[in-house]
Amino acid sequence: MAFFSGPVGVATKIALLSAANAIALWAEIVLIGRHRWIPVLVLALATLAIDAIYLTQHRAIPAKFLVPGTIFLLAFQVIPVVYTINVAFTNYSTGHILSKPQAIAGIKSNSLTEAENGKSYTMAASRDKAGHLVLVLLDEDTGKTYVGTSSGLRPIARSDVKISDGNITAARGYHVLQGTELTGLDKTLSAFTVPVGGGKAVEPQGLDTAVVLEPTLRFDARADQFVRIKGGTVFRDNGEGSYVSATGEELEPGWKTYIGTKNFGHIIHDPLIRKPFLQVFAWTIVFATLVVLASFGLGLLLAITLNKPGLALQRTYRAILIIPYAVPAFLSLLVWQGLLNDDFGVVNRAFHISIPWLFDPWWARVSVILVSVWLTVPYFFLVSLGALQSIPAELVEAARVDGAGALQVFRRVTLPLLLVAVAPLMIASFAFNFNNFNNIFFLTGGGPQMGNSPIAGATDILISYTYKIAFAAGKGQDYGLASAVAIFIFFVVATISAISFSRTKALENLA
Amino acid sequence: MSVAERAAEIPGGLAAERGPRKKSRFAQTWWRHAVALFAIVISLFPVVYVLSAAFNGNNSLTGSTLIPKKLTLDNFRALFGHQKVVAGHATFAGAHYAAWFANSMIVAGGTAICTILLSAAAAYAFSRFRFRGRRVGMLMLLLIQMFPQLLAVVAIYLIVYNVGSIFHIIGLNTLTALIVVYLGGAMGVNTWLMKGFFDTIPAELDESARVDGATPAQVFWGVVLPLAAPVLAVIGLITFITALNDFAIASVILETQHKFTLSVGLRQYIDQEYSEHWGPFAAGVLIAAVPAGLLFTFLQRFIVEGLTQGAVKG
Repeated sequence: MAFFSGPVGVATKIALLSAANAIALWAEIVLIGRHRWIPVLVLALATLAIDAIYLTQHRAIPAKFLVPGTIFLLAFQVIPVVYTINVAFTNYSTGHILSKPQAIAGIKSNSLTEAENGKSYTMAASRDKAGHLVLVLLDEDTGKTYVGTSSGLRPIARSDVKISDGNITAARGYHVLQGTELTGLDKTLSAFTVPVGGGKAVEPQGLDTAVVLEPTLRFDARADQFVRIKGGTVFRDNGEGSYVSATGEELEPGWKTYIGTKNFGHIIHDPLIRKPFLQVFAWTIVFATLVVLASFGLGLLLAITLNKPGLALQRTYRAILIIPYAVPAFLSLLVWQGLLNDDFGVVNRAFHISIPWLFDPWWARVSVILVSVWLTVPYFFLVSLGALQSIPAELVEAARVDGAGALQVFRRVTLPLLLVAVAPLMIASFAFNFNNFNNIFFLTGGGPQMGNSPIAGATDILISYTYKIAFAAGKGQDYGLASAVAIFIFFVVATISAISFSRTKALENLA
Repeated sequence: MSVAERAAEIPGGLAAERGPRKKSRFAQTWWRHAVALFAIVISLFPVVYVLSAAFNGNNSLTGSTLIPKKLTLDNFRALFGHQKVVAGHATFAGAHYAAWFANSMIVAGGTAICTILLSAAAAYAFSRFRFRGRRVGMLMLLLIQMFPQLLAVVAIYLIVYNVGSIFHIIGLNTLTALIVVYLGGAMGVNTWLMKGFFDTIPAELDESARVDGATPAQVFWGVVLPLAAPVLAVIGLITFITALNDFAIASVILETQHKFTLSVGLRQYIDQEYSEHWGPFAAGVLIAAVPAGLLFTFLQRFIVEGLTQGAVKG
């Protein structure tokens, strides 16, 4: 009661609001410094709105309680959804990350090669008085000396440069870097370019030489195309974020651009994507269905077995059987991964068998289902037990009196009543397992590899497949395609959810 | 025993009323104990195995036996970097375990506490006030929640990457980024569940407090929250475990060993030759299970009640 009541409450409120404003002000300064004008405007308006809501009294009271959660909901739930849809219509992927002007600059610098009978310089990496990296250069043919910066080449007096044994050892006004000062600089140096006009550039080669490079491609801004200087091959914008020649040769890097529904088109038409996609989709449904049905069946069986009044140790059994439910799933999955290992796994050694539980496509599928069922049974055991106990004994008794056999009582009375309570939970569990990323990723990583796809594995479900398309190391990252698959998953899950909502009473809660 | 015979036992009331003598009761129920014991063996097999491996002197998976030949705490010491792994010759990633554990507690704990506050505040507004957009707001929550955050992992990565290039504190490889991302899912289902519970708290209680001069904020903190403590605790636990379990989002946001959470850190064992580190690994799993296990034990009554009455966790 102490919080938010009387003077303490007012003080707390003012303190929190001041902190929020201070953070917003700091963020504004950072954003203004970066010339991000749209975020500046959005943030300013949002901050003003928040201040208005919390500074007025006796008004907008519901808003005072809704705003904090809504901010996070918008920032990390709504915007990601909108952004996912946005990315799904782009070619955002490895090699298509930059903007078009950046890509053009990249292609230009990639096309630089050492000029035939081009000049070579003796070079010394140095720092000027401000500490910026520069190159002190000696033209080996003419003996002239220069200082190269990222803006160009500037001659300096030969007498200002001291040379011994063909190495530049000192330069007046500059600090020549030597020995340990050069360690860690090789990356910076190899990216250092001194433009010398005509598209040519002087670039370091190693630590003490620089050479003149000249472009092999010419950019024609008006026609929006690159032309290879030797041979005249033309590379045109193909509308999908790349300059491509008539023979299909592509210049790198490309850029990020909207490509319409092409990602969705690939899923439907491109046989390299369609086949693994359909396989993964089918397996996702099989996996989720089998896990839910088997878990429900076994859970119900256990519940029926233990649902007997006066059964000794009943509570103890129940307490022990829900232990797997109390352990965070990722830990159980990690342990199962070790237990099922085919070389040294305990399961194989205990039963003196050598089943490749996780490395054979079919055994891997069996394994992920078995382990997922192991994880899910306690849940269905608990809900079935609760549902059984809520069925009035009179109903069963009445059926018995009317002459129904045991099987008939179960089929006609108990099961239908049970399903009324458990069916919505089965649908929810299906939706959960449909996207059960951890179960797949911790046990098999989606593997073993399928022959027809560099990415999809035999146990991959759609969500792990999406993750691998977007983040698989070494295979290139395709954010656009991954987002398109994510939207597809969304429609499947939304349909399932819509069915389940229409069958439950959740919406009646709106009153 | 057939399904039919088992089904016959469902109307437990009938059998109990007949009041058979003790001996014949066991004759009737022995199979129930048999099924229960079989289920217990399967449920506990990995648990017992981890317990045994964690205290076993021989820390490779190949050499492990179910009954430890020699009880030792070496595996726990190795985990916290106090002692070199005895049998393992490869480098052991345990040096970071303490950091992973701390990171997981910060992220999961922070997410759970903030989630409780954010969703309870929203649920209070939906439960106690009638305002324009209330129905639409609740429906929107339900609809937005249909798109699991996991599906937007690509977008979340790109957003954190881009925002983080300006504001490093919520950029890649920070725990704060992970927490605020998880908080995006704070409302939604949680708000719905809490609203349902708040609706069962008699409005007369608020009204009498209001008559005594309490503000809506005072009613929220002083009346509604204390009465809703059980549901707040259960939702806190579920959020805690969900955050602890998450691998996909954590793995794309966190980049270096000392920032990893337990799920991202321990997952690396699969890629390593972890048969050699089975002992320390088992010790790590055991310690990681303790916080959630303790919370679960304390809240078991509420969780079991919630599950047997309806649905809390899907």
